[in-house]
Amino acid sequence: MGLLSILRKLRPAPEKELRLLLLGLDNAGKTTILKSLASEDITHITPTAGFNIKSVITDGFKLNVWDIGGQRKIRPYWKNYFENTDVLIYVVDSADKKRLEETGIELYELLSDDKLQDVPVLVYANKQDLPESLTAAELAQTLGLPTIKDRAWQIQACTASEGIGVKEGMEWVCKSIKKK
Amino acid sequence: MTEAVAKTAYDILKGFQINWICLRDADGGKIFWQNSEDLSYPDVEHEARVPKNILKCRAVSREFNFSSKEQIEKFRLEQKVLFKGRCLEEWYFEFGFVMPESTNTWQSIMEAAPESQMMPASVLNGNIVIETKFFDDDLLITTSRVRLFYE
Repeated sequence: MGLLSILRKLRPAPEKELRLLLLGLDNAGKTTILKSLASEDITHITPTAGFNIKSVITDGFKLNVWDIGGQRKIRPYWKNYFENTDVLIYVVDSADKKRLEETGIELYELLSDDKLQDVPVLVYANKQDLPESLTAAELAQTLGLPTIKDRAWQIQACTASEGIGVKEGMEWVCKSIKKK
Repeated sequence: MTEAVAKTAYDILKGFQINWICLRDADGGKIFWQNSEDLSYPDVEHEARVPKNILKCRAVSREFNFSSKEQIEKFRLEQKVLFKGRCLEEWYFEFGFVMPESTNTWQSIMEAAPESQMMPASVLNGNIVIETKFFDDDLLITTSRVRLFYE
């Protein structure tokens, strides 16, 4: 798939510059998703103590994907990156049952922020390869996603470490941007 | 400049560090060149020796990893690709906020010119410089220069 081909699909959208924001708890797999979008090596990923950005340009049209570290001590800085976001991508470790409540609280805090009002949200139910993982449907129920009425949302099962499901999620992202 | 502002500017400069730079094939992520030496000396021009077939790539990515001790409010960069000093390409990017004690990466991916418009490696060799300037608003934090050699 690759970022360039995502961008090509998006080209008819009216905005000149698009911003995707990847958030989620630490160890959810945000950086792995970012790197798998460009088919890069994902064997040496370390916790992100800041941000990772990929900027792609084609025909004067720009896509910026922002991956912000998820460790508890840096989550208070997330709000600095909300402005002008076109789609929020929230990544969950589906096997991290102990922190489901915590990830839900963080998600709803994001959804209640004025700067992210009406912004479509894609939830990646990552790490589907782990035996203990919840399915996407189970995770959607647990997080109460069906109660979200104020914006478009989608849940997508994926195993980012194997590149499975990431592309399907990005296709939804493309569609939801075109609809706006 | 007030004393407080001057101090902040000084602290930002002192606490800012480029850790590594890398050039990759944007398809598949293969690394052509990576450097993590001497990057704290802004006046040093780095030499990147890359295989000629980098010019055949549909897109090449340029990636910077940098750390900042201080919080930065209006972080931005200007990247230029210069051929014998003439600007072929420029890229402006606004990061905005940088967390204190953070390590960050920025990767830019640009499609190559069609092969018919591409200058041959022998002409480009040693004449291409990627110049990247990092700023906090109008304050220049550091400049990175990488000169490309095609082998």
